[in-house]
Amino acid sequence: MTSRAAFADGVRDIGGLVPGVAVFGLSFGALVRARGIDPIAGATSSLIVGAGAGQTAAIEVLAVGGAVSIAVLSALIVNARFALYSAALAPMFGRFTPAWRWGLAYLVSDQTVGLYGRGQERWTTSALQQYYMLGVTLPMRTAWVGGTVAGILLGPVVPGAWQVGFIVPLMFIALAIPGIRGLPELAAAVTGVVAVVSLKDLPLGLNIVAAALLGMTAGLMVHRRESGSGVSGSGVSGSGVSGSGVSGSGAVGSTEAPEPTADTADSA
Amino acid sequence: MKIWIVVILAGIGTYLIRVSGILLFQNEDRIPPLVRRALRMIGPAAMGAIVGNALFLDQGAWRPFGAWHVAALVAVAAAVWKRNLGLTMLAGVAAFAVLLLTVY
Repeated sequence: MTSRAAFADGVRDIGGLVPGVAVFGLSFGALVRARGIDPIAGATSSLIVGAGAGQTAAIEVLAVGGAVSIAVLSALIVNARFALYSAALAPMFGRFTPAWRWGLAYLVSDQTVGLYGRGQERWTTSALQQYYMLGVTLPMRTAWVGGTVAGILLGPVVPGAWQVGFIVPLMFIALAIPGIRGLPELAAAVTGVVAVVSLKDLPLGLNIVAAALLGMTAGLMVHRRESGSGVSGSGVSGSGVSGSGVSGSGAVGSTEAPEPTADTADSA
Repeated sequence: MKIWIVVILAGIGTYLIRVSGILLFQNEDRIPPLVRRALRMIGPAAMGAIVGNALFLDQGAWRPFGAWHVAALVAVAAAVWKRNLGLTMLAGVAAFAVLLLTVY
């Protein structure tokens, strides 16, 4: 039960996604070069912004001669979902020391936010959770920056026919599904999928933020119905996700998931 | 020069967004149970939205049915079966490569 073990545990959990993010960084680096953006500024953006979709949005605005203010605004709107992640992490990060709290906040990404529940289940003290989250976030940011630099240096090494964009839905399928332990989470995820395509005509990636909020609402409504009616045949209650002792009403009945804990998920 | 201003301002703005929710909800004992449940739903909801956006849409238009959808189904099946992140990635990439090389 040492900090090093917690860090290694985080690295192991995120390891399967690191190659995907590196390849994604490669293509972002190639884009920086193709658009004639200053390479050092492009690489720096991966380090200090650290959010690929937002960076791409800003670069596409600049590439068509858009104003600085529009480029910044596009990046920030695309990154608005991080406010939701930040709120989701608040109960855990609120117990960290200030240096860890504000440092880890800087490193969190779409991929890493999904693992905080697993970290809370497995590591019981805040001190160890800090190391777990560092193990999860640091490899991702490193791979993102490293991939960007390599992409800038190498140019478009990945053939277009490979369609590397498939990595994005794949990464999030791999991340999301182990976290779905009951009907409320399932409702939240499915509503997110349906809403994002229904709202596809919203500009600047706002459909993602709107769909996330709708999915969250759907999850809450299903949770209320489950706990209100006392019906327990529908599966595992929502309480297992963060392990933080929120009352779960559903009995652990027959579900499609043979193991209700996350312990089996890290055998990679 | 322009790009540097964009990078620095976008970096500062993104960091402020990253800390906003923590500043709002960091005192755990003051979070009402309803808000706490809502926060736990954000992850699945946002990830579902990202999957839907990347899988079914391509630059705002519908993506024609093909290797993306089939390989994603394979990945979902692998994820439900083993709940293992690395294995899911492998299954999805392998299915996608096979489909690109053969059917599509």
